[in-house]
Amino acid sequence: MKKQNKKPAKKFKLSKKRELELKSRELIDGNSACAFAVKLCHVESIPAFPITPQTELMEKLALWISTGELDSYLNVMESEHSVLSAAVGSEMTGVRTFVSSGSQGLMLMHEILPIASGTRMPIVMICGSRALSAPIALWPDHNDFLSCRDFGWLMMAAEINQELLDFICIAYRVAESKNVLLPALIEMDGFILSETREPVEIPRQEIVDRFLPELKLETMLDVEKPMTLGTPVLEDYQNFKEQMQAAQNNALKEFEKAFKEWKILTGRKYDFVEKVWMENAEIAIVMMGANATIAKAAVRKMRSEGKKVGLVKLRILRPWPEKSIMQALKKCKKIAVVDQNISLGKNGIIYNEICETLKDEGKILSNYIAGLGGKHLSIQDFEQILADLEKSKKSEKKWLS
Amino acid sequence: MVELEQESRQKISGSLGQKPVQTIKDIDTEDYIKAGTFACSGCQPVLGIKLALKALGKNTIMVNSSGCMTLTATYPFTPYKIPWVHNAIENADSTASGIFMGLKRKGLEKKVNILVYAGDGATYDIGFQALSGMFDRFENVIHVCYNNEIFANTGYQRSAATPLFARTTTTPIEKKSRGNLIPRKHMAKIMMAHDSPYVATACTSYPLDFMKKVQKASTIYGPKYIELLAPCIPGWILSTEQGRKSGELSVQSGLWPLYELENGKFSVSMQPKMIPVKEALKMQGRYAHLNDEEIDEIQEMVNKEWESYNKGEFWTVHEY
Repeated sequence: MKKQNKKPAKKFKLSKKRELELKSRELIDGNSACAFAVKLCHVESIPAFPITPQTELMEKLALWISTGELDSYLNVMESEHSVLSAAVGSEMTGVRTFVSSGSQGLMLMHEILPIASGTRMPIVMICGSRALSAPIALWPDHNDFLSCRDFGWLMMAAEINQELLDFICIAYRVAESKNVLLPALIEMDGFILSETREPVEIPRQEIVDRFLPELKLETMLDVEKPMTLGTPVLEDYQNFKEQMQAAQNNALKEFEKAFKEWKILTGRKYDFVEKVWMENAEIAIVMMGANATIAKAAVRKMRSEGKKVGLVKLRILRPWPEKSIMQALKKCKKIAVVDQNISLGKNGIIYNEICETLKDEGKILSNYIAGLGGKHLSIQDFEQILADLEKSKKSEKKWLS
Repeated sequence: MVELEQESRQKISGSLGQKPVQTIKDIDTEDYIKAGTFACSGCQPVLGIKLALKALGKNTIMVNSSGCMTLTATYPFTPYKIPWVHNAIENADSTASGIFMGLKRKGLEKKVNILVYAGDGATYDIGFQALSGMFDRFENVIHVCYNNEIFANTGYQRSAATPLFARTTTTPIEKKSRGNLIPRKHMAKIMMAHDSPYVATACTSYPLDFMKKVQKASTIYGPKYIELLAPCIPGWILSTEQGRKSGELSVQSGLWPLYELENGKFSVSMQPKMIPVKEALKMQGRYAHLNDEEIDEIQEMVNKEWESYNKGEFWTVHEY
C-alpha cells in the first residue's frame, strides 16, 4: 500500500558530478554500447567479419575510425576463423584486441577458441547470441555462447545494454591481470539487446583510464626479445591445463576487485549473480541473459500478490561462482532453472551446472527449456513457471510450450 | 586515402640491415635456427628455414602452420633465435595478418619482416582461404610454402601439390591404382592472379637463388609468395643423402621450374639442362612403379610447359 500523506516534493538539486553523469547518458542499442566500450578501452586492433546481429557494431567502429573519432585498426577478414586467428596474432604483438561474432561465426571460430586461451591471450569477444542452424534462425538463444564454456575463456552474460558496456571494461581489466591472462567472452542477446535502444550511461574517459591500465604483456612477439609461442608439448599438456584452472580461480578474486573498483568509479554495483527479492524467497528462478528483465517483472507482480518468489540472474559463468550461487539460493526451497538452451539428449546446460552446485542441499530443482530461437517469453510465462514450481513436489524437467 | 595506399604499396622496406646475398661469402654467419631439432636427418624443409632466416636476419617474426616444422620447437626446447609462433594448420596467414595489424599500430610494419613458413598442405589445401584473404588485404608478409608435395607430418598422404603418378599412402600402388592421378595445382599462378607484387619458385638445392629471392621479397611492400621445393626424405622414399640431389634433378629436368614474377613480369631464373625426367624420377622411390608410357606422359607435360616458358609465356594451357 502506498503511503497516504505525500511529502511535498523537495526542489531537487543535482550535484555537479551527477549532472555530468546524466549528460553522458545516451539512448543507444547494444551494438553501440559495445562500440563505446571499445573506444573507452583504447582497443587498438579489431579484426572483424560481418554476422547478424553484431554487424552494426563493426559498422559503427569503422565509421568512427573513418571520422577520426577512434584511433584503431579495423581489418575486415575473409572468415571468422581468420578473425580469431588474427586476434591471437595481434594480441601476441602486445596490442589490445577486440573481436565480436556469434552463432555460426562462433562455430567457425571454435578451433581457435582453445588456442586463444591456451596461449593465454587476453582477447575480449562479444558473442551476439543467435540460435544455431539448422534450421537457420535469426533470433537469440544461448547454445552458441554456452558451447564455448569448456575452453578456459572467462564468460559473462549481459542483461541490459549498460551491462554490456561495463562488462567489456571489466573483462579487459580481469583478462589482462597478470595472474589471469585468459580471454573473455561476453554474451549479448541478439536483437533483444543488440538492436534495442536503452539509456546507457557512458563513463568519462578518465574514469576508464584509471580503471584499466595500459596493456603490458610479458609473453609476446618482439624482435628485441625473441620468444617461441604456441609450441607443441608432449607429456606436459596437463600442467598447462592445471595452470589455466588456477588462472580461472584467480579470476574470481580479480572480478571481485574489479567490481569493487568499478562501483567506486561509476557507482554501478555488480556481483557474480544478481539477486532480486532473494532475502526471504522460498521459490526462485535462476537464469541468464536479457529475458531476466521479463522474469523480474513477473517476480515483482507475484510479490505484490504476496508470494515469496525471487530471481537469481547469473552474470559470470566462468569462473563458476559456486559460493555466490550457493549463498544466494541458501534459503530457497524450490528452484526453477530457466534455460534458453538445450544440451540435446539431456537437459538445459545451466540446469546441469546448478544441480552440480546444489547437489548436497536437498532442494527441488526443476528445469524449464524456454525461448529457444528467440521464442517470445512473456510475464505470464514466468508466472506460470513459478506457479507450476510452487505446486511441484519433486524435481521436474519441462519444455515451456 | 587512395594516394596514401599507393604510396604504401610502392614504398620499399629496405633489406632491414641484412647484407644482400650475392655470393656464399655474403651469407650471415649467425644461425637463427640452431641444430638439434626433431626433424629427420637430411630434412630439406628445415634447411629452408635456416636459409630463409639467414637471408632475413634477426628483424623477423616467423609464423608456422601445423606440420613437421612445428615439431622443431617442441616444449621445453626451442631452436629459434627469432620470435616464432605456431597457431593452427590453416591460419598461418591470418595469424600473420594479426601480427601485421599489431606491428602497424606500433609503426613497425616496414621494419620487421613477417615470414609465414607453411607446408604445401597448409598452403594449397586447408590454408588456401586464409592465404588468399591475406593477399587480398595486401599485408606486408612473405609467405614461403615449403613444398614437399605431400602431407608429410601425418604420414605422407596426397595433397593438392602431389604430382601426377606419385605414390602416397592415400594413393597407393596396388592392382587397381597407379598412384596419384590428379595433376598438381599451379599455386604460383593462382597467387599471381592475386596481383601480388612478387611471386617466385625456388628449391633447397639452390640456396643462393632461394636466399636472393627471399631478400628481394623483403624489400618489396605487400604480400609475397615464394614456393620452395623441399624434398622429403621418407615421403619421397629417398636415402638420407639424396635430398639435395633429387632437388637438383627436379630442377634440371624441368620438372620444377625456377622463375620469378615481379609486378607480373615473368622471368625464368635458371634455364634447366632439360635432362630426361626419367633421371629425376628414378631416384625417387615414390615413382618406382612408373612404366614407360607414364614417364612419357610426364615428359610431355614438362616439354609443353617449357615450350611456353621459353616463349616468355607464363600460362600453359593443358588439354585433358
